[in-house]
Amino acid sequence: MPEIRLTMTAEARGVLSDLLRLIAPAAARVAVGRAHVPDEDEELAGHWTGALESHAAEEARLLATAFATAKGDPAVILLRNEAQALGFLRAISSVRMALRELVFADIPDSRLETTEDLDDESLPSEKRHAIACYACFGLLQQSLVAQLSPESLD
Amino acid sequence: MARPKIKPEVRTEASTKAEKRWNVVVRNDPVNFMGYVVVAFVNVLRISQDSAKRLMRLIHEEGRATVWTGGRERAEMLVLELQQWHLDARLEQDA
Repeated sequence: MPEIRLTMTAEARGVLSDLLRLIAPAAARVAVGRAHVPDEDEELAGHWTGALESHAAEEARLLATAFATAKGDPAVILLRNEAQALGFLRAISSVRMALRELVFADIPDSRLETTEDLDDESLPSEKRHAIACYACFGLLQQSLVAQLSPESLD
Repeated sequence: MARPKIKPEVRTEASTKAEKRWNVVVRNDPVNFMGYVVVAFVNVLRISQDSAKRLMRLIHEEGRATVWTGGRERAEMLVLELQQWHLDARLEQDA
């Protein structure tokens, strides 16, 4: 797999990095909370939860490091192999899930798809900020899928 | 040397007890994009792009789909892996 480059403005990198510092620690908790873990066997459920937690925490670290080390303007994140790229994809999904559940769970999906709430002045600014970041992470994820597996988008 | 005159009695019995089968079910979710779900299915279920797209569309249209059926141990592994991709995957016993 050739090296994958994700490019964004330095300002966007700064904003997303700040948000990641806040939301990444919660992302693992949200991932475990959402998962339907078979609970009839206590030992299995314990292993299952532990595997989800450690996996999500590792992805959060990967994402935070990638954003923190992206330098320049435009800022470039380099993903050197497929494993890194797939981990990055999953990590973005995890952060979007956490934002959706923790910051704007009250907003219906149909409104998020049109991102009309970005212009809704009646919403608190932190909520609008989180929705904007949610949309940005979505764009990054789609850009990565397009480079990694363009036929998935047909 | 005399041979023992005991004739062993051998019985054979066919076992018809089938192993229970388990479904890996994935439900639609509003956060993950379609392309992302296809990438997840290709990587976790080891199926072709076309099969992955068919499953993804089924989930999108019906709200859920069974993406794999078989033994419990493998089904558990697949559900865990799909959950690590942040998909709404569940283990259900086949009817």
